[in-house]
Order: sequence, then structure tokens, then C-alpha cells
Amino acid sequence: MAKVTREMVERSGVNVDKLVELLVKNAAAELTTFYYYTILRVNLIGLQGEGLKEIAETARIEDRNHFEALVPRIYELGGSLPNSMKEFHDMSACPPANLPDSPNDVEGILKILVEAERCAVRGYTQICNMTAGKDHRTYDLALSILHEEIEHESWFSEFLGEGPSGHFLRRGETSPFVSKFLR
Amino acid sequence: MKIFTKEELSYFNGENGKPSYIAFEGKVYDVTKSFLWMGGKHQALHRAGEDLTDALKDAPHGSEFIKRFPMVGVLKD
Ligand code: HEM
Repeated sequence: MAKVTREMVERSGVNVDKLVELLVKNAAAELTTFYYYTILRVNLIGLQGEGLKEIAETARIEDRNHFEALVPRIYELGGSLPNSMKEFHDMSACPPANLPDSPNDVEGILKILVEAERCAVRGYTQICNMTAGKDHRTYDLALSILHEEIEHESWFSEFLGEGPSGHFLRRGETSPFVSKFLR
Repeated sequence: MKIFTKEELSYFNGENGKPSYIAFEGKVYDVTKSFLWMGGKHQALHRAGEDLTDALKDAPHGSEFIKRFPMVGVLKD
């Protein structure tokens, strides 16, 4: 634990135990989403599905990156991850992104993807709200993740016919916002 | 329709296998089946068995999620 780091956040009025619990829950959401997206991506096949595979893969890799970026902050603040992977799964801040009953249902898969991203956007907005002007490092991290989650939401939403996303797909490296926390 | 006092509602806090009920704008909802209310806790910040009307004002979502769950009664003021 980084003692003074934690003390500074406590003195700013943030409930650090609650914040850490929230970070662990969101880390669980990222890692479990990485797992569930693997299955969703594998099932994005055929004329409709193939075109979505690339963004599903980018979102999958970036969600894993978010997990990697969150873990150091959890430990800096004196938190830890549970020993049990099962417990970790069940404490996720978002519901499991399960494959729809019919695996060929591309629109069904897209809806699962967009809902998962929307859940993440809500979660990081909350963490930003709790830390803004108080816990600068967690805020910077949560905001960086939020930028990427919003882009994921906009990609999937565009494919669902909800209107233009205004974005291109990633060109080059993944995690343009979070990569500074991964070096 | 069952009428809950605050004390009666507090029993349904999701702990030790008990159901998770939450009150919102005078109505009581059963969120026991929700993955996000397992054990009566929601997002590290909220507990079942309570009136969460005010708490929702600071949440990153509206009441649309609550209204998907069965209403099991009303809260006595
Ligand atoms: C400020 C703290 C809160 C946070 C961070 C939070 C966060 C979330 C998130 C991320 C979701 C999933 C949304 C999605 O799938 O897109 C959710 C769902 C939900 N929230 Fe909250 N929420 C908060 C407060 C509340 C309060 C005060 C209530 C009750 C009055 C509430 C009731 C619910 C319900 C019933 C669901 C749906 C669960 C399900 O579908 O299984 N939340 N919340």
C-alpha cells in the first residue's frame, strides 16, 4: 500500500474503502467481460457477423487492458483482489455478457455488447464523480477508461442502427487513452 | 397489497439468504433475482432493506432499471 497516497485521498473526503470496493467490482467486470467477449467474438460469423468481429476484438482487448490498469491502483490504495476467481466473477459491477440463446443471432449479440458497454460507462462515470478534484490519480485512470468505454458504446450502437458514432475504428495500437497506465 | 413499515422493510436486506427488497418513491420492489443486488448490496454503495429514493439522485442511471422488478408492496411513511 502507498500510505501517503491513501492518506491524501482520505483527507480529501473520499470514503477509500468504498472506492476500493468499487474499483475491484469494476476490475471484475473488465476481466469477466474479456472472457465473455471471447465467446461472443468467436460466434460473430457469417455475412453479418464477420464485419463486427474486429471491433468486438478491439473492445475485448481494451477491456483486458482496463483490468490490468485498475489492479495497481487497487493495491496502491490498500485494497486487494479476492483469492477466488469465482468470488471475483460474482462481485462484478456488471451482469455477465452471456451469449444469446441463439448463437447465430448477430443483432442479439450486438445488444449484449452495447449493454455491457453502457453498464461500464455508468460505472466509470460514478467513479469519476466520486473522485473529481479529490483523488487525482484514480480520476485520471477512470476518465481514461471512460473515454474508451464511450467509444466502444458508440461503435456498437452505430451497428445497431442508432445513428452515426462519429468515430473510426482504432488505427494502430489499442487503448489510446489507457496505455499510459500500462507502461 | 402489503404495507411495509421501515422496520419491516429492513428485514429484507439480502443477508444470510433473506430476500432483497428496496423502496423507491413509496413502492417496494423485490430485487432478489438481480445479479447486481447479490447479498443485498449494490455497487458497494447501497444496501437492500432501505428506502433509496434520495440515493437514486446521485446514481448513474434512472428509475427504469428498478421498475423492471416485481413490486411487492408499498412503504408506510
Ligand atoms: C450511486 C450509486 C449507484 C451506482 C454506481 C449504480 C450503478 C448501476 C449500474 C452500473 C447498473 C447496471 C446498469 C446497466 O446494465 O447499464 C445498475 C443497475 C441497477 N441499479 Fe444501480 N447504481 C447506483 C444506485 C442505485 C440505487 C440508489 C438504486 C435503487 C434505488 C439502484 C437500483 C438499480 C437496479 C434495480 C438495477 C438493475 C439491476 C438488474 O437489472 O439486475 N441503483 N446500477
